[in-house]
Amino acid sequence: MSRKKALKGKGSSNTPNSSPSAEKEKGKKVSSQANGVVHPSRPSLSNSGEFYDIAFKVMLVGDSGVGKTCLLVRFKDGAFLAGSFISTVGIDFRNKVLSIDSMRVKLQIWDTAGQERFRSVTHAYYRDAHALLLLYDVTNKSSFDNIQAWLTEIHEFAQQNVVIMLLGNKADATHERIVKREEGEKLAKEFGVPFMETSAKTGLNVELAFTAVAKELKHRELKEPNEPKFQLQEYVNKEMKGVGCCRS
Amino acid sequence: MAAEDLPSQFDVVILGTGLTESVIAAACSRVGQSVLHLDRRNYYAGNWASFTFNGLLSWIEEYKNQQELQITESEQEWRSLIEDGEEAVPLNSVDSSISNLEVFCYASEEEEQEEETKDLLTCPNAETVSEETNSDSTETQDTVTSDDVTESNVKVQNEENEDSAPKEQLHASDISEHSQSVEEKQPNRSPADPPAELQKKITYQKLLKEGRRFNIDLVSKLMYSRGALVDLLIKSNVSRYAEFKNIGRILTCRNGKVEQVPCSRADVFASKQLTVVEKRMLMKFLTFCLDFEQHPEEYQDYSEKPFSEFLKNKKLTENLQDFVLLSIAMVTQQTLTEEGLKATQHFLRCLGRYGNTPFLFPLYGLGEIPQCFCRMCAVFGGIYCLRHSVQCLVVDKESNKVKAVIDTRGQKIGCSHFVVEDSYIREEQRESIDYRQISRAVLITDRSVLPSESDQQISLVTVPPVESSGPAVRMVELCSSSMTCMPGTCLVHLTCSSSGTAQQDLAPVVSQLFHIPTTPGEDPSEGTGEISKPAVLWVMYFNMRDTSAMDSSCYSLPSNVHVCTGPDAGLGSDYSIKLAESVFHCLLPDEEFCPPAPNPEDIIYDGDAPQAEGRGFDESNDTEANKSQAEEEGTTNETNPENSEAAEMDSVAQETTLDTNPPSEE
Ligand SMILES: Nc1nc2c(ncn2[C@@H]2O[C@H](COP(=O)(O)OP(=O)(O)O)[C@@H](O)[C@H]2O)c(=O)[nH]1
Ligand SMILES: [Mg+2]
Repeated sequence: MSRKKALKGKGSSNTPNSSPSAEKEKGKKVSSQANGVVHPSRPSLSNSGEFYDIAFKVMLVGDSGVGKTCLLVRFKDGAFLAGSFISTVGIDFRNKVLSIDSMRVKLQIWDTAGQERFRSVTHAYYRDAHALLLLYDVTNKSSFDNIQAWLTEIHEFAQQNVVIMLLGNKADATHERIVKREEGEKLAKEFGVPFMETSAKTGLNVELAFTAVAKELKHRELKEPNEPKFQLQEYVNKEMKGVGCCRS
Repeated sequence: MAAEDLPSQFDVVILGTGLTESVIAAACSRVGQSVLHLDRRNYYAGNWASFTFNGLLSWIEEYKNQQELQITESEQEWRSLIEDGEEAVPLNSVDSSISNLEVFCYASEEEEQEEETKDLLTCPNAETVSEETNSDSTETQDTVTSDDVTESNVKVQNEENEDSAPKEQLHASDISEHSQSVEEKQPNRSPADPPAELQKKITYQKLLKEGRRFNIDLVSKLMYSRGALVDLLIKSNVSRYAEFKNIGRILTCRNGKVEQVPCSRADVFASKQLTVVEKRMLMKFLTFCLDFEQHPEEYQDYSEKPFSEFLKNKKLTENLQDFVLLSIAMVTQQTLTEEGLKATQHFLRCLGRYGNTPFLFPLYGLGEIPQCFCRMCAVFGGIYCLRHSVQCLVVDKESNKVKAVIDTRGQKIGCSHFVVEDSYIREEQRESIDYRQISRAVLITDRSVLPSESDQQISLVTVPPVESSGPAVRMVELCSSSMTCMPGTCLVHLTCSSSGTAQQDLAPVVSQLFHIPTTPGEDPSEGTGEISKPAVLWVMYFNMRDTSAMDSSCYSLPSNVHVCTGPDAGLGSDYSIKLAESVFHCLLPDEEFCPPAPNPEDIIYDGDAPQAEGRGFDESNDTEANKSQAEEEGTTNETNPENSEAAEMDSVAQETTLDTNPPSEE
């Protein structure tokens, strides 16, 4: 199967993207990215039987052990997998349909399959990501220091308009914390990307990270000329829960 | 990124990430073997790799440095790890499979002032790119970050044409800015009416600046739509990691003129070059070829004679003989009749599966394909390490089998099998040497050799020998929608079996088909005939060693060492896929080769069954939907060729997997 196949926006006639401006937007995408399979008349059904209107591909990146796989499993299945076996089973990708402003947005979320462990992620992995969640571990300084290196790789191989979000994971681990929240904020500002702290263990901000990305992608895809812009960072700031106010 | 130690024992250690090794890695990992997959380079796919323009320049640099390098050996380090009853077999630390590399640049070096303002907005992240390109550092250095730009980041991405964006915001927003302007440019392009801005000559600076839009393959091959590679991609579900575009047309060059080869029924009837009689003649002949085995009486007498003579005897006009021999069968004057008929038949059978020609090409280049198989290996637990090689094999003297390898960090890693690419093997381990060479040229040009309605087509061009003694040259012209070159350029690959150096073999063809400026940026003079040819902006020649004639008898190595030879000179990849399959069966005689990977949604995370099998594809409804979708698109293919083939591949993939892999109970 082609990787783009299941990911195209599928405008049924009652969704905003059947408006002329949305059509134009799509046409643009088709020719510039060679990936615009658009089937305006076909409703879509996901594997699990869920319909969706529009679909995007989200990739997880960051050092080994920062919690990428756990974040994915937490978001998809609401579970936390502690222990080691999880790293032995590669997760290819998982799908989840979110409801965003009465639209069903399918995220197809890809894991690195462990190839980041010795810094050997294939270039092919980044090719057509619509969004990248870049993770570090707040209890591991070197995972934080490596963010710059990951960004370099992303800039080289990902689409230029890819949505990037920086996540400081394991925010629940208060005692082992080494990277302060402010440091993460500062770094994110430096690179001009939105930022939040998450915990795959408690679930803190996990939904929010994916929802924010889905909102941003959906907004871009269906952009109406006069619609106000969607402010990703603002949205995140408003919705985000601090470590303190949550369960830790 | 952490410098962890590797586990100390694997079932299979594989060195080299070319196509054959990567397929073996995926196949082994898929059936539960523990796999360590290494490559000494910092990129995947070895001689199958593709590079951005800047990446290719680094590769060229590396080649040059290696030519000067004195190899100093530090064998003593690992000597201490060899125990009684063990023997060490050292491996090569340098690769000598590339030779005669020459590069010529014809793009103008000068900066174009007018464009500079535009490019300010389109330059990629200054910090990450300017080092390599040395190009835009001056104008981007002053794009300092101000503290309040973060907020504007996303906003700018949504802006249609934010020309008024304050300069200070560039740093934070450059990524989005870039894509905006690039996306705007591309769809505007049509051959009839290119915007003034794009008619402008492409400078060398521009190639560097847009370097990441190139994906330049070292190996140039196409995929037969019913060839071994496509079949394997579909069967294994590895095709989920790649996307394909079909080859739009097949061209040939006769008497210095480029023309389209009619090969499908529709082509034959639409052809203006063929007379009505020729059309009938060709259709009749091609129909015969489709099931030639049914009519042995037609070709029996020619079984010992060349296909070319058979064609003559069939009373095809010279025109048609050339078409069939060179562009359809793609064989030589000497090829025997039956082989020629088989090749013609294969071509015809591949027609129409995904489009008008029998061929597909992976978006982003052929170098994607080994990476796709590597991902499949990783998903099933294979461990990947680039920039990491093996210094020597540890052979058990008594059994004469490899029991371990010593990696470049001096770690001893046990294994039951060792699979290695040919270039890592030293001369001492070779019994006989049967090297051939492949001659390659890679060109960046400013337009197609045969402009047409759609400038977004991939073309296969068969070029008969310039002199009768010379080799027939295969040319693949890629357009920007194949994601291998920047808009406004074509990426052209020339390939032939070598008789001399790549430049000797291919430069005559290059000057026959392209305009080579005498000074960079120069225009062809009117009325010379040069004016109608595309101009070469940049060209690289090199030879690649073709080891495909070698088999296990050519090496003196333990029986559990399996050597994979590199890419061959052929158009398809069947050779490399068959080799992978045979190595796999040698390793694991009782296991299935690349059974379909389960739907990722169906892998169950359960401590007791970490390798849980999925239930296969319970998607029968989807298949029907996809099928009709593919059919629809197959007929309306013309207007939007980029999109339909991927969808068709999908439908076939599902058909095939569903047929061969009925859902198993959970
Ligand atoms: N305390 C805590 N531990 C976590 C969290 N996320 C992951 N981990 C643990 O960190 C380790 C690595 O997680 P994993 O998802 O495999 O990381 P990956 O290599 O990035 O995929 C595992 O032992 C997890 O249990 C988290 O949010 N909080
Ligand atoms: Mg993981």
